[in-house]
Amino acid sequence: MVFAHGFGCDQNMWRFVEPAFAGDFKTVLFDHVGAGGSDLKAYDKSKYSTLGGYADDVVEIGRELGLTDAVFVGHSVSSMIGALAVQKAPGMFGKLVMVGPSARYIDDDNYVGGFSEQQIEELLQFLDSNHMGWSAQMAPAIMGNPDRPELGEELTNSFCRTDPEIAKAFARVTFKSDNRADLAKIDIPTLILQCSEDIIASKEVGEFVHRGIPGSELIILEATGHCPNLSAPDEVIAAMKTFV
Amino acid sequence: MDSPRIDDFEDMFDNAPCGYVTLLTNGRIARVNRTLLGWTGHTSDQMIGKPFSSFLNMAGRIYYETHIAPLLRMQGFFDGFAIDMVTASGEHLQMIASATDGRDAGGKTEFTRVALIKAVDRRLYERGLLEARDMAATGLARERENSELREQFIAVLGHDLRNPLASISAGARILGRDATTEKQHQILAMLETTVMRMAGLIDNVLDFARGRLGGGIVLARNANAPVEQMLHQVIDELRLASPGRQIEAVYAIDAPVNCDRIRIGQLVSNLVGNALSHGATNEPVRVRAVTEDGLFKLSVANGGEPIPEAAMEKLFEPFFRGEVRASRQGLGLGLHIASQIAKAHEGSLNVTSTAEETCFTFVMPLR
Repeated sequence: MVFAHGFGCDQNMWRFVEPAFAGDFKTVLFDHVGAGGSDLKAYDKSKYSTLGGYADDVVEIGRELGLTDAVFVGHSVSSMIGALAVQKAPGMFGKLVMVGPSARYIDDDNYVGGFSEQQIEELLQFLDSNHMGWSAQMAPAIMGNPDRPELGEELTNSFCRTDPEIAKAFARVTFKSDNRADLAKIDIPTLILQCSEDIIASKEVGEFVHRGIPGSELIILEATGHCPNLSAPDEVIAAMKTFV
Repeated sequence: MDSPRIDDFEDMFDNAPCGYVTLLTNGRIARVNRTLLGWTGHTSDQMIGKPFSSFLNMAGRIYYETHIAPLLRMQGFFDGFAIDMVTASGEHLQMIASATDGRDAGGKTEFTRVALIKAVDRRLYERGLLEARDMAATGLARERENSELREQFIAVLGHDLRNPLASISAGARILGRDATTEKQHQILAMLETTVMRMAGLIDNVLDFARGRLGGGIVLARNANAPVEQMLHQVIDELRLASPGRQIEAVYAIDAPVNCDRIRIGQLVSNLVGNALSHGATNEPVRVRAVTEDGLFKLSVANGGEPIPEAAMEKLFEPFFRGEVRASRQGLGLGLHIASQIAKAHEGSLNVTSTAEETCFTFVMPLR
């Protein structure tokens, strides 16, 4: 069972959910390149300018571990990264779990994504105002040793901290992505977990994804917000257990 | 008498110099103080029970969901983040905030307290700094691009200059066959010298451009070809080109030198050319080439004024030019290229300069 985090933080997003599956599954956690403890030197602007670049990494991890018929659990934008990985490597994943997915964030003709182009630009600008204590000098210490307790105080905010330029680029590729055409191509059992009140992926957006993926299952959680894996892990675990 | 308000905690909460909100675990507002109501222009009825994020601008809402809420769950607090609230009249209120989770004995989050400070000026200032940084970065990138284009231009120009120069040289040689008067021979010799100097300049320019463009200096090493013969030839050419100047050469080469002879020839030519330009005209330029202790050592020395202290550091930098009479003024690439050739041979090029002598020494391992 592969857990993939979304835009904002790192694999710690799964810290309350993953242990519940570690007994029955071989669980795989990773940080996308540019996030958490990943090697920033591996960040390649052009590769990661589309979600496909991130999906390639997922496939690479799967190949390295020899995964077949695995469960892919993606939060937020990683739901769509998973959808792309499923197409890229048939047989690698047998089931797909999407937590708070959106096939497109920006409104478009008759489609309601929840955001306007201008609001996303505003976000990119705003991210500059929150560097979260990031500084180039500290980067090597943070990135290389995410688990070193002696760095203690310095690690404040580390779960969600990365190079502001990379954060902006990831936000751009996330919020400007359009994966509506990919939904119909998902040919494995898919579970969609939708929060009751989520401004990032609204109910309409979740239902759109559900309608688009043939045979998919939609569970509406009582949890609010965009990160039920942190705010309501028990509910997420219970819902996932009905599926896997 | 102390005012009773000093010990009034309700008053302290409501009229604190910062905004306070207490959020339930579902992100909705449970309490809000009067200061924040005053800043935002909302009434407490309008705010209580509503999601806190609905009073943020869209960027703030996304940031709240993707960073603030997760961080609070994971580390229990988040200090000093920027956030924009939207006032009742629709204006953005730029703030700096800190938040702390209130947890029960089992570590379960029960509520979150947020303190907000108005930071309009600070945020504006930060934005200005960021804009300045971005502008500098863009400007630098543009400059880099320009300079690469310039270097490409130099490379192409240098290359194209070789052909007409070869024509001049060939023409001079043909004319030389029929030359009869002393005057004609003098002019032809001068032409040859000029062509040689120009060819040397073009070589240096091309090498510089290549080095800058990432090609670097590529060596064609050969340990078996004789080095001494090549040195003779280069120095003879330089003697011919500098009538009236004395170049003394001493060789003690008794082991094969694994080098690119043409490059070493260029290095010697550059060093001797430099010595001729800058050294005292009434003293000889002394070249010494030896193999000893597993090393090939080549030195070029001249008399005259020592190199000023300030110039020593920059000597091997491209386009550095010392004081010299205009007719001998070069591009300032000779020593730079020589040092690059030394580096390509895993060797070194150093200089000492005293009132008695200025001496450049090139040292490289024999193999």
